[in-house]
Amino acid sequence: MMELEQSWRYTTLGILFSALAAFVVLQMVRIQTSPQAEVFRSQGEVYAGNWRTVKPARGQIYDRLGNLLAGNITVYEVGVELAFVENPSTIALALNAVTDADYEDVFAAASRKPSSNAVFAVLANNVTEEQKLRLEQFTEEMNLAYGESKDESRPSLAGLVFTPQLQRSYPEKDLGSNILGFVNREGKGFFGIEEKFDELLAGESKTVWVPRDPNRVEELPQVPPGASLILTIDRAIQSEVEDILDAAIEENGAEAGTIVVLDPRNGDILAMATTPRLDLNEYWRYGEVFQGSTPFNRAVSKSYEPGSVFKVLTMASALDSDAVNQNTPFLDTGSIEVGGTVIRNWDSGAWGPQDMLGCMQHSLNVCLAWVAKQVGANTFYNYMQEFGMGHLTGIELAGENPGRLKRPGDADWYEADLGTNAFGQGIAVTPVQMVMAISAVANDGKMVTPRILRAIIDNGRQYNTSPQIAGMPISDDTAHELTEMLATSLEVESSIALVEGYRVAGKTGTAEIPTPFGYTSNETHASFVGWGPVDDPRFLVYVWLEKPTSSPWGSVVAAPVFRQVVERLVVLLDLPPDKIRKRLLEGQ
Amino acid sequence: MNSVQRFTQAYNQAPWRKQLQLIGLFLLVLIMGALVAGIYLSVTARASTIGRGIQDMRSDMEKIERDIEDLETELAFILSNTHMQNRAIELGFRPAEPGEAVYVVVPGYTKPEVVSLAQSSGPAIHHSAPALPADYTQSLFDWLRERVFEPAAPLIRER
Repeated sequence: MMELEQSWRYTTLGILFSALAAFVVLQMVRIQTSPQAEVFRSQGEVYAGNWRTVKPARGQIYDRLGNLLAGNITVYEVGVELAFVENPSTIALALNAVTDADYEDVFAAASRKPSSNAVFAVLANNVTEEQKLRLEQFTEEMNLAYGESKDESRPSLAGLVFTPQLQRSYPEKDLGSNILGFVNREGKGFFGIEEKFDELLAGESKTVWVPRDPNRVEELPQVPPGASLILTIDRAIQSEVEDILDAAIEENGAEAGTIVVLDPRNGDILAMATTPRLDLNEYWRYGEVFQGSTPFNRAVSKSYEPGSVFKVLTMASALDSDAVNQNTPFLDTGSIEVGGTVIRNWDSGAWGPQDMLGCMQHSLNVCLAWVAKQVGANTFYNYMQEFGMGHLTGIELAGENPGRLKRPGDADWYEADLGTNAFGQGIAVTPVQMVMAISAVANDGKMVTPRILRAIIDNGRQYNTSPQIAGMPISDDTAHELTEMLATSLEVESSIALVEGYRVAGKTGTAEIPTPFGYTSNETHASFVGWGPVDDPRFLVYVWLEKPTSSPWGSVVAAPVFRQVVERLVVLLDLPPDKIRKRLLEGQ
Repeated sequence: MNSVQRFTQAYNQAPWRKQLQLIGLFLLVLIMGALVAGIYLSVTARASTIGRGIQDMRSDMEKIERDIEDLETELAFILSNTHMQNRAIELGFRPAEPGEAVYVVVPGYTKPEVVSLAQSSGPAIHHSAPALPADYTQSLFDWLRERVFEPAAPLIRER
């Protein structure tokens, strides 16, 4: 009887517990499959991890000797987790004091009520390591002083979060700034190399899901850094040339200036100095430094009428087409009519009997206009086309200007243009176009494409670029003959462009500046182009000073700048004087 | 009593013995379950610890990469043209004039055309993370299956 009673109790208890267990299981299943479960799951997913963009470090930029011109430094984004903010006023005050952030903006951002849509607020960007340390120190000091206080209005920096990120940095500040360009806060390159090779330097970002659960940790994709670049620029030469240019502008009261130094054998740009320049670490001052339509790099972006330096190309085409030779006589009567326009010499004088050497030596407009007529319009413009006039040179810099070459058949070309173009008026070129064209004269007739990019380092390998011959507009004989003529003319003139110990060839240029009413201004562009040593050219230097006030003439203003540049170049390039070089070569 | 009855009686167990067997079987299942659960917990805990370690190492790696960038740039600031010029002037140097340089021929020396900052030939170096060993990704079930079907596989893999 007793056993039966106990059995009944056990059975009842078993059924009860089983029912309870079944109820629990059923309830679990119901909760898991209810419509609300999906909401909770999605809420859980929000906190399960985060999408993260893995940005590679931007590639570095070096000069030809491996000196860093553009690197990266760590800066911080300062934000605040709204749920942890205790005193927005303290946060705004501290950020205003340390980072100069606007008090009102920071206060408004830090005062937002936390919600499902507002969890985090960014308060300041580009905060340096020192500023971050000061903010952390403030936080610590406040915790020590007021940490125990129960007062709700106690000063507190609770909630501040520092997120590190890399930002572009330029150790050489404004050195070569016109070549490099800059990178803005969002990581986009502007101007120069930074813009031209933006994608290559930036590399490829990847967005990945990073779970917080350590059990779900997965391999993050390895994002290789952006490619690094080695430029043809020599930092020491660039620095010297910039110093010389700045001094020349100041000394001559010029508005602006440009100097380009090129190795005519391979097109390497060794230096490219222009004004104004910008400390690239303060790129936000761009609008202040480059006012109005001021180009970032005049050497590639600003076209102008070059004046008499263009006569080098006119004479090259005439010699190469056999229209004239060095000894062809010309009687300068002081004027010549071409297409109904009377052309006069720079001094309005008549220079009498001359040969071609004399024409170049005295820079006679009348003679060169006659030479262009002898060449013929079609042939002349074909040569100019071959020299790359009116076309982009292909230099690896953003914002290149193709200039303008009017040709027979164009609506705005007149016969008179042949006469004026012969001495560099009525034509628009950039300094880098002139450098490329004249490289043909300095390099045995072979015209080289100017290059600024020497090598790319990508994925652990260095890829060197090769020099490119853009064409051979003239023969090597013509190039040698013209070089000899221009070297002799400098020597006969006792030009101030001459450099002791080194034989150089060159040509001055003085160009009137056109206005909407014609050539009515007294302002000029003063230029000089020269190369050397004549028997084995290693450098080609182009000097352009805009609107000098000390003297309008290129021979007075630009020629000495060329000499100063060459005097520094020969030291920095380890070029011995001609006599020593020949002696050393004979001894080998 | 025939022989069958005697045999049955001889091998018939007492009720207390049957209960003991049932209890033993229950305890065996319980212990086995606890053992499996314990191993599973242990492995999961180790995987979590290692996972957290990986997260920490990844964070350290990113910091080290940033530090390298910082140091390279800092060094470039110290060695910048202006700084080096100023240091040279402070030390009493001045720029050489063209006539002051002495030129000598060094047999066999060729001035390099461009600096070499990376390997210029040979196979490319691919930046990819080494794959995580199976120890960190394998589930307990995978491990058991491996032990059953590949009993010769080493218990501890040497790396």
